[in-house]
Amino acid sequence: MVLVIILVLFALLAAWVVRVAGARFAVKRLGGAVLILVIVTFGTTLMLRQVPGDPCITALGTGASDEAVAECTSERGLDDSVVEQYTGWVGDVVTGDLGFAFYKNREPLSDVLEDRAPRTAWLFLYSQLIALTVAVPLGIWAAYQSGRAPRGVPRWILPVAIAALLGVAVVGGWGIAGILTVSVLVPIFVFNGIRGGPSGDSTVNTGAFVLLSIPVFVLGETLRYFFAIKNDWYDLVGYSPWNEGVGAHISSIWLPALVLGLAVSPVYLRLLRADMVQNLQQDFVAVAKAKGMSNRHILLRHVLRPSTLTLLTVAGLNIAQLVNGAIVVEFIFDFDGVGSYLIEAVARREFFAVQTLVALVAVLFVVTNTVIDVVYTTVDPRVRAEDEK
Amino acid sequence: MSNAAAMAEAEAVKAVPVGGRKEPRNYIFWFAVVWLVLVLLITIFGEWLPIVDDPNERNADTIKKGPSWDNWFGTATFGQDVFSRVVVGGRISLRVAAIGTAVGIGVGGTLGLLAGFYRGWVDSIVRLIINVTLSIPALLLVIFIVAVRDQSLFWVVFAVCILAIPALARIVRASTLQVAEREYVKAAEVVGAKRLSILFREVLPNVMPTMISFAFLTTGIILVAESSLSFLGLSVEAPTITWGSIIAEGRISFQETPHMVFLPAVVLFLTVLSLNFIGDQLLKRYDIRESAL
Repeated sequence: MVLVIILVLFALLAAWVVRVAGARFAVKRLGGAVLILVIVTFGTTLMLRQVPGDPCITALGTGASDEAVAECTSERGLDDSVVEQYTGWVGDVVTGDLGFAFYKNREPLSDVLEDRAPRTAWLFLYSQLIALTVAVPLGIWAAYQSGRAPRGVPRWILPVAIAALLGVAVVGGWGIAGILTVSVLVPIFVFNGIRGGPSGDSTVNTGAFVLLSIPVFVLGETLRYFFAIKNDWYDLVGYSPWNEGVGAHISSIWLPALVLGLAVSPVYLRLLRADMVQNLQQDFVAVAKAKGMSNRHILLRHVLRPSTLTLLTVAGLNIAQLVNGAIVVEFIFDFDGVGSYLIEAVARREFFAVQTLVALVAVLFVVTNTVIDVVYTTVDPRVRAEDEK
Repeated sequence: MSNAAAMAEAEAVKAVPVGGRKEPRNYIFWFAVVWLVLVLLITIFGEWLPIVDDPNERNADTIKKGPSWDNWFGTATFGQDVFSRVVVGGRISLRVAAIGTAVGIGVGGTLGLLAGFYRGWVDSIVRLIINVTLSIPALLLVIFIVAVRDQSLFWVVFAVCILAIPALARIVRASTLQVAEREYVKAAEVVGAKRLSILFREVLPNVMPTMISFAFLTTGIILVAESSLSFLGLSVEAPTITWGSIIAEGRISFQETPHMVFLPAVVLFLTVLSLNFIGDQLLKRYDIRESAL
């Protein structure tokens, strides 16, 4: 049923693209995506055959009876050629049979996904929202500051602030590293922020840069230590769905979502800033300025608007980052999502479940990006013209 | 899809405000270089240095102790010196990252160069390879490869190479496409230089700076990927130490050994930060368009 709706939606999308941009373009783009999909999924099937020894024996354990192994082998198409195995797999997946993991008493993967995919989906949604609420205002602000002169904030504020915070830190008595970081870095950041201009811009940029360089698991462990172990602000009790109340839902998911959101936000921030700095140098900004429009209006309506398309593309590509992050974050927070299922399945050598999951993620990624790409290219004739060169 | 993203990525680093920045803050750059050299020297010389002990020497007196003068980074579950473990573990982590990047530049760079220069069917094939590989998220791909084969050093390195090749090929291709459009390449064509000579004498030297800068960024990415993998317990197996595995080990009894999590994590973070910063600065410094105008 779901499949039919999705297919109808795709048909509509394809029809729209053909109508607006012509059949040649549609075939080129959509055909390319289908080719990639087939190669990727075929590649994962091929990889399955690279398991040293017999994948069925490894998956079932050495104590398995010969009949069980033989059944598994024929069921998985391992005695057929790769192509037959692949077509069998595709047939199964399309009809909704995603296979199962042996160690959980043959619990079908589709049930697991039904149970766990919403959790990961909520995690993705919240983290994207957090990332955008962090990145968009800061990106606009940084791009705006980059072309301005700094405000005349006196320099002596900086040593005074450092001294004041150092005093507070010594009296409060935190760890030595904490004292140094907080009492030197924070005043510098605040000072540069107040000054605005290029230094305000570079402050935001440096912040994004540092955040980009922190591995997700380091960020996750640090925040988990601070919020869940040192202080009792987050309960490591696991996910509770919406129907257990909004409060319980939010409080069960906010920290993982925050970690994931912080991890992906610098990507948005840097790209948005770069894009807006470029847009600010366009002639239409000068014209708008000459017409007497306010800075706010120019920034939000004339400069941010063309950048939203870039943001959308990056959001599509960021799904890869999100998946990478989600695997780690779910592991850290014992969050029973698809990512932790994957780790479990890998640890138990459930190749078939892992292969199906990897293929599904790839399909999700390619389809989302193709849809974004096609919509954006169809809407914007400039990109289309560029592409046909 | 890939090209737009690659260009956007390169632009994000290069975008400089109208007035241009006055003073390039080189002292941070040199700090990053010094840190990287320090890390490299210490990990390469390792046990020959007086500050590093045997990473596997157990000591019943110092179990799960915090940092002290004897053990700078504290001690591990069986009283091993964490600092020595970080040094020795860094050897594997950095080696994996270095090999991955080298293969990435060698194979991926060549593919990207050929694709961007010859266009046509070569380009189509390379683009297909890039798109197919990039359609599986990096960590997932590495996990899949390691899960299907086994968790030996060879397969970890192999997986990481598979990661680095399309990433570098994509960037090099985008850069080559830009360079190949430039006047001196056209001029060389008009003069009648051979295609191969144009490729090696005109295009390659001008693609090189971008490639080197992204090599630093890629090394950072691989370092993070490998550490995440060993953090998840899926990288090279037990007796071998890597940065991620030290962190993963400290995580198990977090209350007693937070130093095992945070101190290696800080080393890893600073190394990745240095790599990213050097790559970023080099990209700005050698941006062809800016220096040409």
